[in-house]
Amino acid sequence: MESLIEELKQKIIAGFNLEGVTPADIQADEPIFGTGLELDSIDALELVAILEQDYGIVISERAVADQAFASVRALAGFVAAHRV
Amino acid sequence: MLRRRPVITGLGIISAAGVGVAAVWASIRAGQSGLRPLSQFVSPRHGHPLVGEVREDVDALAGAVRGSRSDKLAWIAAREALVQAGAEVGKSTDSTRAGVMLGATVGGMRGTEQFLTALLRENRHRFGPLRFHECAGAADLCARQMGALGPVATLSTACSAGALAILAAAQLIEQGEADLMLAGAGDSLARLTLNGFGSLLLLDASGCRPFDARRAGISLGEGAAMLVLEAEATARARGARVLARLSGGGASCDAFHATAPRPDGGGALAAMQRALACAGLPPEAVDFVSTHGTATPDNDAMEAQALRQLFGGSVPPFGSVKRFFGHTLAASGAIKAVLAVQSLREQAVPGTPGFEQVDPKIGLEPVREFRAQRVARILSNSFGFGGNNVALVFEEYPAPGPYPETPAPMEVNSTAVSRGLAIWGAGVVSAAGCSRAEVAAAFRAGGAACSEFAVPVISPTAKVKVYAAREPGGEFALDPARRRKLSRIQQMTLVAARQALGKTRETLGIAPEKIAVAIGTGLGSLNDTAAFVENMIVKDERVPRPALFTSSVHNALASQVAMEWQATGLNSTPVQREISFETALWQAMTELKSGRADLALAGAADELNQYQLAAGLRWGWWCEASSSSSPESHPRVEASANTAPPSPGNALAGEGSAVFALGRGGEASAGGPLAHVSAIRIARSAAWEAEAEAAWMVETLQRDGISASEVDLLLTGANGGNGWDAFYQAVAAAFSRRAGRTVGCAAYKHACGEHYSASAFGFLTAIGVVRGEIQLAGAPDAAVKTVVLLTLSPTGTKGMCCVRA
Repeated sequence: MESLIEELKQKIIAGFNLEGVTPADIQADEPIFGTGLELDSIDALELVAILEQDYGIVISERAVADQAFASVRALAGFVAAHRV
Repeated sequence: MLRRRPVITGLGIISAAGVGVAAVWASIRAGQSGLRPLSQFVSPRHGHPLVGEVREDVDALAGAVRGSRSDKLAWIAAREALVQAGAEVGKSTDSTRAGVMLGATVGGMRGTEQFLTALLRENRHRFGPLRFHECAGAADLCARQMGALGPVATLSTACSAGALAILAAAQLIEQGEADLMLAGAGDSLARLTLNGFGSLLLLDASGCRPFDARRAGISLGEGAAMLVLEAEATARARGARVLARLSGGGASCDAFHATAPRPDGGGALAAMQRALACAGLPPEAVDFVSTHGTATPDNDAMEAQALRQLFGGSVPPFGSVKRFFGHTLAASGAIKAVLAVQSLREQAVPGTPGFEQVDPKIGLEPVREFRAQRVARILSNSFGFGGNNVALVFEEYPAPGPYPETPAPMEVNSTAVSRGLAIWGAGVVSAAGCSRAEVAAAFRAGGAACSEFAVPVISPTAKVKVYAAREPGGEFALDPARRRKLSRIQQMTLVAARQALGKTRETLGIAPEKIAVAIGTGLGSLNDTAAFVENMIVKDERVPRPALFTSSVHNALASQVAMEWQATGLNSTPVQREISFETALWQAMTELKSGRADLALAGAADELNQYQLAAGLRWGWWCEASSSSSPESHPRVEASANTAPPSPGNALAGEGSAVFALGRGGEASAGGPLAHVSAIRIARSAAWEAEAEAAWMVETLQRDGISASEVDLLLTGANGGNGWDAFYQAVAAAFSRRAGRTVGCAAYKHACGEHYSASAFGFLTAIGVVRGEIQLAGAPDAAVKTVVLLTLSPTGTKGMCCVRA
């Protein structure tokens, strides 16, 4: 799980061009969106696309996304449970 | 109340729920949804969701006209409306008093998708469909067909564009700029919008369910609807049958988010309140609300909240027709306008198919089924991405009591401004530089330096000589976190706006609702739009790109500016090719003169893109490519207008942005305004004739109390290309004869290049000239105090304004 958390942090940094942000700057138990990273709801939808491309997980309802993106740890759990 | 109150004399509509007003009303009466599984094109990702498709043969219905599917839908609806109105432009209505104001957001995207599919899938270079890419195509087509020579323009505020166009048309009539306006919108389905809304998780493949507890998103649709609006006096004078009245309208901006509405409904509430105030009516006068009601969870919750705030405990009957038509984007507000008039005529209101269960979080139930009811006044809402909200009030004609027939006019329009409106700030991003001082220096050096722009679509090494905008630096540059989320054109626009306004809202001291923003663009975020479509085609729709979709809408520029300064007044995005800036300037000045705004930003921006460059090269618009492998030779395509002669010829393409802060004057400010602007006007010519253009300019100046003999310089859109330069010279000579003195004639595009937003740079140049900061070849030796900026589009539209010290 910790390695998946690390992997997801890397994807978030690369996917959103977060210059100067390191994985250590992202807290695994804090909300991914609406916090210090200045990521908003459109970034959340970009993350939906990343999950589909990299893990084959298709999210078609916003409520599912909101739950999955509660924190990087929650996201890792979601990915582990749904990846194909 | 709009003072010179527009009445409605013609209606036209084409949609999934029928072609023609009678057929559509029959569907409404029967509660018959027009949604069917998508069949027009193949969507690997979405398959066959329920959508509102026009099943009839649109090409055959449109007849012998050329244009995109959107353009043809618009013309089919326009033709019906004009026939019903019975107005013969050129006979019963003076051609110069007839105009066209349309909304559009999809435009020719279907053709652009075909171009990119052929290119990326089969490596075929079929540039033809790109000729009809622009959203302005429908207004140009309708104006040509009906022979309108009054104001012609297109607005693109996403899903509120049709409603905003109707409001703008009404304002033109109110100002006396026109007696008759064709107003409405048309938008076709496209893979871009299907995948775009899909990427935002806003599609409900099983059909939209407005206000229902289980609602899960929109159904897309396509169609067009048109109104013929006329000044009451001239409509009566020609014996027209009046169907209803447009009593008022209001626009607002959420200034909140690129796509999501302000959750408390504050923006929607402001638009409705402004519409009722404009109509001189209290909320209780409203008999029915035709909601935007898209069936996204956010929209319907927000809109219901706004209704509760406006009407308190007694929300009038309301409904949403989205399941009849799908969400037809820009056309949706125009379709609802046609239905509102029809409801007033028939004394009945549509039901809300798709609605079954009340959402406990909303607690309001829409009208379920078609029903007869007394209805004298209808409020119709349209909301768009970027928080661009519009509400319109339609009223029975003649209007029944108890409300006063002629309430006190809202429009103050009494500004005692002898020199015109004040220009307080100016910002620019261009090849000539990113400040007024840099631009002045570039002019001293004889123009801006060119650079080379890679056009791999022609060949891997192909480059085109262009006027690329310089990277803005200094105090107004955007920090990296801000830049990350913004496309190049958005960055250019925001930097220019920051220069014009200063960095923060706090420095303004003006209430947010008193700030209006109108930023024109000919082509919008071309590179993000192309990237979205390329990705969609190459990856077979497998990888959604929501951020690219949200920046593909033309009004992303103006709404970004609004968000930065929390500007909640009018927010508009004119997209009328070369006169996009002049249209924005007209809107900004209208907001100031009416007192609705105390500060208005007007501007325009466009960016370079390889496909546009390649297509322009092939069509002979731009100079040669400086590549070793030159493009294959192809016959030149004639300009789409039936007017001769000027074609852009061997001009050089450019890009850039310019934004201006305008006020009424008299505001406290150290040093006074930069300059003043007056005599704004947009119109159309059927054929270019120097004497006629000179006469038009003289008349326009006179209306604002300016004598032609005061004009020192005509600043033109000459671009070094065939035809245009000589024609502008001829106009200047004709103007000089009328002025009784030699008026100079000068150009500015050697500092910014040819692009749809170039005249915004021209406006900046004019300010520099009257301030003595810029000297131009062709200008008189003596100090230039009064400049007329003239912009002519190859399609026949034209714009002018006067800049004075």
